[in-house]
Amino acid sequence: MSAITLHNVVKKYGAVQVVHGVDLDIAEGEFVVLLGPSGCGKTTTLRMVAGLEDVSGGTLSIGGQVVNDVAPKDRGVAMVFQNYALYPHMSVRQNMEFALRPMKLGKAEMDRRIAQTAGILGLDALLERRPAQLSGGQRQRVAMGRAMVRTPKVFLFDEPLSNLDAKLRTQVRWEIGKLHQRLGTTVLYVTHDQVEAMTLADKIVIMRDGHVEQVGTPEEVYAAPKSTFVATFIGSPSMNMIETRATGGRLVADGLSIPVPTRFGDRVKDGQEVTLGIRPIEIQRVAENAPGAMAARVEVTEYLGNEALLDLRVGSHDLMAEVPADQRAAPGETVHVRLNETALHLFDTRSGRSLAQ
Amino acid sequence: MAYIRKRNRRIFLIFLLPAILVLFLTTIYPMIYAGYLSFRSYDLAKLFVPRVFVGWANYREILSSSEFLHSLVVTFKLMAMTLSVQLVLGVGIALLVVQKLPGMPLARTLLMIPMMISPVIVGLVWLFLYFPELGYLNYFLSLAGIDAIPWISSTNWALWAIAIADIWQWTPFVMMGTAAALQSLSPEPYEAAMIDGNSRWDVFTRVTLPQLKPVLVSLMFLRAIDAFKIYDIIFVLTKGGPGDSTEVLSMFIYRQSFTFWRMGVGAAASFVSLVIIVVLITLFFKSLNRDQTA
Repeated sequence: MSAITLHNVVKKYGAVQVVHGVDLDIAEGEFVVLLGPSGCGKTTTLRMVAGLEDVSGGTLSIGGQVVNDVAPKDRGVAMVFQNYALYPHMSVRQNMEFALRPMKLGKAEMDRRIAQTAGILGLDALLERRPAQLSGGQRQRVAMGRAMVRTPKVFLFDEPLSNLDAKLRTQVRWEIGKLHQRLGTTVLYVTHDQVEAMTLADKIVIMRDGHVEQVGTPEEVYAAPKSTFVATFIGSPSMNMIETRATGGRLVADGLSIPVPTRFGDRVKDGQEVTLGIRPIEIQRVAENAPGAMAARVEVTEYLGNEALLDLRVGSHDLMAEVPADQRAAPGETVHVRLNETALHLFDTRSGRSLAQ
Repeated sequence: MAYIRKRNRRIFLIFLLPAILVLFLTTIYPMIYAGYLSFRSYDLAKLFVPRVFVGWANYREILSSSEFLHSLVVTFKLMAMTLSVQLVLGVGIALLVVQKLPGMPLARTLLMIPMMISPVIVGLVWLFLYFPELGYLNYFLSLAGIDAIPWISSTNWALWAIAIADIWQWTPFVMMGTAAALQSLSPEPYEAAMIDGNSRWDVFTRVTLPQLKPVLVSLMFLRAIDAFKIYDIIFVLTKGGPGDSTEVLSMFIYRQSFTFWRMGVGAAASFVSLVIIVVLITLFFKSLNRDQTA
């Protein structure tokens, strides 16, 4: 049985529709990330699941029960907010107690749960402190603790790491991943950061302008993006995109001519405008006379330690290549590169949809 | 550098001088002069009798006079009546007007009007309402079949009559401060409480009120200091009467100074009143500091 099901879920504010018919199936224990740029409807979708926003159309079920008109408190969900949403005048312990209060558990059980949660999250020493006396990372852990003590069926996370600095973000991200492995609770997690999505998710839902663009495992959305949007959104540095025209079995653009890979078969029509996508790591430096070698001028070099990023100019196109650090070249130099044919992505330029099967 | 700094200091003084001058002439000099008078026997009716130094005699007189102590009791009684009602009503109305409902911004503006009216005018307005035979209040009560209430002519009712006028004028002040504080509270904890299923009462008493407490304490202190100085409304409505049932401290001082022309005694009573206000202000700042360090 799926933990959460969205069927054609719509959100309107007056005449403005912000979420357009989202379909989504989240299995029990799955970690699902809603990913997209700001304004794509991901947070609104999450808030509809939480019950903080009304569902304007479609059906939303949690644990097999339609919850469109069920109050937030009766949905069995707990939420972790971007700004932590802690009660500022209460200690860490009181924050958790207040979340447990409606459950009417009795003092002993409440203390047991708080102690257990504090143990898991390493909050034991902080229980009597107030939020103002905690660091950002600690506050985030308290917010998670407050959600955890209720042992909900579903955890909802709304950009929980975006108020943390880069180093802490990595650490707390790791903690959230570990926590999910340990508790096995269903998680719906909203972020605009593709690294968070890739590292945490069992399943990524990429949203854009209120539509679901693609649903898949991190491997699927990385290796087989269904649209140019997904292709450029996932992966860092992002995928190079070159607009070409299919001419006589080749993809032709200024300074570039590549045979259409056979696996695309007859889906590439002669004369069709095709966007060619290639990840920076799939551009290799080769000798001048190697098959498929193209001349490219180095514009900028970024040294990153193990590898280097080369900003290349091929004809009138800019390409980013990621090469081993010892293969880097100085700006102004001309180098020869080859695009890894097996890693080419082709998209119909008009629709932006992938031409792969 | 040093030269410029020295010059700047002089310029500071020049800019400050007008304000200092006005402050000195209207506040500091009268206060010092009142202090001087409070140790003298000074009868306005006997202008040419020298103002003899009498030591603490004026202070001894008022502190042992039952009239003075009575006026203090009346002052604190009125304070308790007005503050408690203003707190409950102010917070209640504030909770209402911060709701995102149609008409609330307009309601908020209209509710502020009493605060903008001069207290003398408020007194006059309520005088018309309270007037025994012709007053609107008793007219409306008679429509409801209730006997006329001797609002300002009965010792049982007069203090309530004054309290009601003061509550009408200053509840908006408490409402405004509370509404501003309510709107500065972050909404997320409320959403968290909604998901966790905390009852409205729990959320109000355990989330909202504790966060409002510093503001409410400040508002109450400000109102208490004001209540101590209440004068205009009483002067217009009852002049301290009937009997001495509404004679608050400021009325006592006025009567001593300008009815009995005993300026020395009036000045001494003013100083006692000043001491009490300073104590209130000190407590107020202490509570502010405590909230900041907590």
